[in-house]
Amino acid sequence: MANISELLNGWGFGKQTAIGTANLVATIWRHTNLNTKPWAKVPVNEDDRAEIGKGHEFPTQLFKSHYNMPAYELSKYASSEFLAWALSFSMGNVVVSGSGPYVYTIVPALGATNPTGLELPYFSFVQQIRPGGSAVLDEMLVGCAVKGWKLSIKNSPGRASAMCAVECVTTGQYTSPSGITLPAISTPHEFNAGMISALTFNGINYLSGGSAKQFVSMEASWENNFRPGFFPGSGAQDGYQIQGRFEWGDRAFAVQFVVRVQAGSTEYANLINLTTGTATFTMTRDANNSFTMLIQKMGFNVAELGNTDGIVTLQITGVQLYDPTNGMVTMTVTTPLQGICQ
Amino acid sequence: METVFMRSPDGEVKEVEATAEALTPRMASGWHQVPAPPVAQKPVVVAEEEK
Repeated sequence: MANISELLNGWGFGKQTAIGTANLVATIWRHTNLNTKPWAKVPVNEDDRAEIGKGHEFPTQLFKSHYNMPAYELSKYASSEFLAWALSFSMGNVVVSGSGPYVYTIVPALGATNPTGLELPYFSFVQQIRPGGSAVLDEMLVGCAVKGWKLSIKNSPGRASAMCAVECVTTGQYTSPSGITLPAISTPHEFNAGMISALTFNGINYLSGGSAKQFVSMEASWENNFRPGFFPGSGAQDGYQIQGRFEWGDRAFAVQFVVRVQAGSTEYANLINLTTGTATFTMTRDANNSFTMLIQKMGFNVAELGNTDGIVTLQITGVQLYDPTNGMVTMTVTTPLQGICQ
Repeated sequence: METVFMRSPDGEVKEVEATAEALTPRMASGWHQVPAPPVAQKPVVVAEEEK
């Protein structure tokens, strides 16, 4: 028996060299996770109930089918390290510069020019409870990928005002015991909503001027819509078929935000006039830790009047348009950690 | 000025200023970061020993 609080999580901050080649321990970090569940392994069996010729309709035999690994959420307070990791692994085209702190510039990869086609970088995930001779759990899942993420910013005190949840998938390949001695737990440089230093959406500055103090909350999300990765030759683990690739499908980038309504609010006018503009969201903790999301061309799709805690608000659904020159979005993260997604 | 080396979809490698403004249009059109090429070295000239 073990309490779930004993669960240790570590995963590759560097990328695997191939989907079936696990991270080396030097490229694995250890972090806390607000998701209190371990990543379950789900082998699926099938039987012969559909086959006639047995003389009855009942199943008589079991067969190994495949590993149907559920998606797993890494839920954390947004930090420079975690954002650099999540955005790099979810979008794929990463440029790193500097010599400490390191600046990660990240955009969505293009299928036509991505060196790995429609596949994003892979990482390994380690979960352990009392690792060692009598481990309750000690395994490393190999070939994990970031399916999507959600960044949530809200009016509240503390770290919970800036959260990042990352949804991960994995092939079904694993090693147990992991053979990994996890490093000391990382101390990420976390943000909170008070550190927002730029907040301009479609020409409206919500941080200063007439629209200051209007902003209530924001949710931005990315979804890779991976296609199933079973194919001839995709591989097997324990006799069960595993997935051999995660290829992105129609990717989706969504942004919604809530603002207080005041006299002269221009959100409706922007929507009706089909006005588009850049959107810049920046959090700055210090010179070594910052995050900027620059949406190259945002319009407003929906502006719905409502109320938030008794205050009249508008919920805006943005439309992120692809700019022929600058693409859709550029993420820039400054963080002290080297080697993320490298 | 911080720079990085980028490869275009056509294979051209170029040293680019490491700013979001300079990187974004290239990355959006499929450029990727590559390691810095080895620095060209001058041929070693061995001085003649004095006789």
